[in-house]
Amino acid sequence: MFRSTVFRFAALVFVLQLAAAAALLFGTAALVRGQVTAEADRAAAALMAELRAVRAAGGADALAREVAARAGGGPPPRAVLLLVDRNGTRVAGNLDAWPPSVVAGGGTRNALLYRTGHAAPEAMRVGAAALPDGGRLLAGAVTEGEARALRRLEEATGLALTLALAFAAVAAWASARLIVARLEGTLAALDGVAAGDLGRRVAPDAARDSFADLGRAVNGALDRVDTLVTELRVATDALAHDLKSPLTRMRAALERAASKAGSVEALDRALVEADRLMAVVQTALGISRAEAGIGRENFAEADLGLHMADMAEIYAPLAEETGRTVLFEAAEGPVVARVHRELLAQAIGNLIDNALKYGGGPITLSLAGRVDGVRLSVADRGPGIPADRRHQALRRFGRLDEARGGDGAGLGLALAAAVARLHGGALVLGDAAPGLLVTMDLPR
Amino acid sequence: MLVEDDAGTADFVSRGLEEQGYVVDRAAAGRDGLFLATDGGHDCVILDRMLPGLDGMGVRAAMRAAGIATPVLMLSALGSTEDRVAGLTRGADDYLTKPFAFAELLARVRLLIRRGGAAATAAAPQTVLRCGDLEMDLLARRTRRAGRSIDLQPREFRLLEFLLRHVDQVVTRTMLLEGVWDYHFDPGTNVIDVHVSRLRKKVDEGFDRPLLHTVRGAGYRLGQEP
Repeated sequence: MFRSTVFRFAALVFVLQLAAAAALLFGTAALVRGQVTAEADRAAAALMAELRAVRAAGGADALAREVAARAGGGPPPRAVLLLVDRNGTRVAGNLDAWPPSVVAGGGTRNALLYRTGHAAPEAMRVGAAALPDGGRLLAGAVTEGEARALRRLEEATGLALTLALAFAAVAAWASARLIVARLEGTLAALDGVAAGDLGRRVAPDAARDSFADLGRAVNGALDRVDTLVTELRVATDALAHDLKSPLTRMRAALERAASKAGSVEALDRALVEADRLMAVVQTALGISRAEAGIGRENFAEADLGLHMADMAEIYAPLAEETGRTVLFEAAEGPVVARVHRELLAQAIGNLIDNALKYGGGPITLSLAGRVDGVRLSVADRGPGIPADRRHQALRRFGRLDEARGGDGAGLGLALAAAVARLHGGALVLGDAAPGLLVTMDLPR
Repeated sequence: MLVEDDAGTADFVSRGLEEQGYVVDRAAAGRDGLFLATDGGHDCVILDRMLPGLDGMGVRAAMRAAGIATPVLMLSALGSTEDRVAGLTRGADDYLTKPFAFAELLARVRLLIRRGGAAATAAAPQTVLRCGDLEMDLLARRTRRAGRSIDLQPREFRLLEFLLRHVDQVVTRTMLLEGVWDYHFDPGTNVIDVHVSRLRKKVDEGFDRPLLHTVRGAGYRLGQEP
């Protein structure tokens, strides 16, 4: 429990609350006491100065008269006075005897003394001075009223502190509760997700604080997980589907071969399907490896113009079979970049293959060197892909049209995109107006 | 000799090779394979890259260190051009990734054995390649069949040159892509088939005996035998 952050936080709140209350209360008391003491001291000192002035002017008798007069009722009204002769005998004043604790020239001090005619002792500040004739004069001011007020204040402080203790405890508990409550929603959502409900999210929070940020961050992470899981599921389903059709056809072909009727042709079919299965698996592996960044160690400087010319040459006859063409518009001079030759060839090959299968008209390859990189593009004059479906086309197994994609596994574009990312570039599907324009930007 | 730890694959490969008339020694671990290889007398070693104990790379390195020049075909389940490149640079004579078609393996083994024999006889560089009445002059870059000139495009010339250099051997589609264009990727569909059929039109059309044959499930073969 002592290691719990919430507990520590609550304890901190408690201690600080208490400290604040104590400082306020004791501080006030100390201030008031200081003020009272200072005023009484000032009054005592003034009284003493006045009386000494009287003695200097009129002698001992004048002083005795003055003391007697002032002791009767001031000024100041709450004066404490006592004049004694050299033997310590009381001459005048409102104290019955010289208090032993008060020493002449010893400064002002607190005392609790009985004034003549008072039934109870009173708090006062008194000072004393020795007179030239050997007598002593005590002068001071009663602070009993203020002292009583101070005692009240102290009692109140005690009470207030008790209250503050309770308040601090409540504040600590409440702040801890607040934290826990603000985290509860996030925790519940995460628990829900952990329990299998991937759709659970932290309720939106209008507050602009760290808790709302946490909720948003958690939701963002959960969304990403959800997307990946969905993508994975779609990909797995699609993989199963894509492997199923050639497997089914292969099985049928093998069955026919087993029955001997047209067995050679059937075996050929089976071999074609087996090759297709292998290609699907190989491409899926290739994408995973490219996504994982495997292959960067095999990057080498290459003139992409030669590459593209090779690709055009390799695919041209196939295009011509269906009355189409593959043209390469070369850039001026060599366009050199650090690339993975085989993977890039595979990616461009896939793009041309796609253009042959799903596009139409002449296929144009082009290459342009740019300031910060190179741009490869493959364009055809077919129907293209509508803007809202391009994202889907780039996904693994993201075939747009089941009917058209008879033998494609929907991996071609995904691999090309993965290869572009492996090179630190990007693959973008655009509009060749009409047709599909695939551009691959690679850094140099 | 075949060094492969997976019994299923080993059975399938050795049975296939035996059907083709080869004698196959088998080993399931790197050390056993190396021991057999030091005995010499093999025409070709098929090495799995992932082996218990001493792996394929280690076996090959040890063989070469011991002065055994038997050509090596490396097999790997890692399956990517990365491994192919790594395997070749570390001195395997050829490389094949699992899963592979047996025809591909057979074609490559034959090529390695043939190449090993050719290296031993150290033939002078040829300037004229022949197959039956087909003749290719590499210096003049001219091709003739039965005295008739055949007009070939540069890529068709290179394709035919590759086939002529491997007369009577089965060459697979991937071997053609590697040999003619030096690419290892999978071009998909029937890209190579179209190249070959165009070449076939020029080479065989109008002649009684076809020279360019399609080998079912494997690839192509240039030769006088049908």
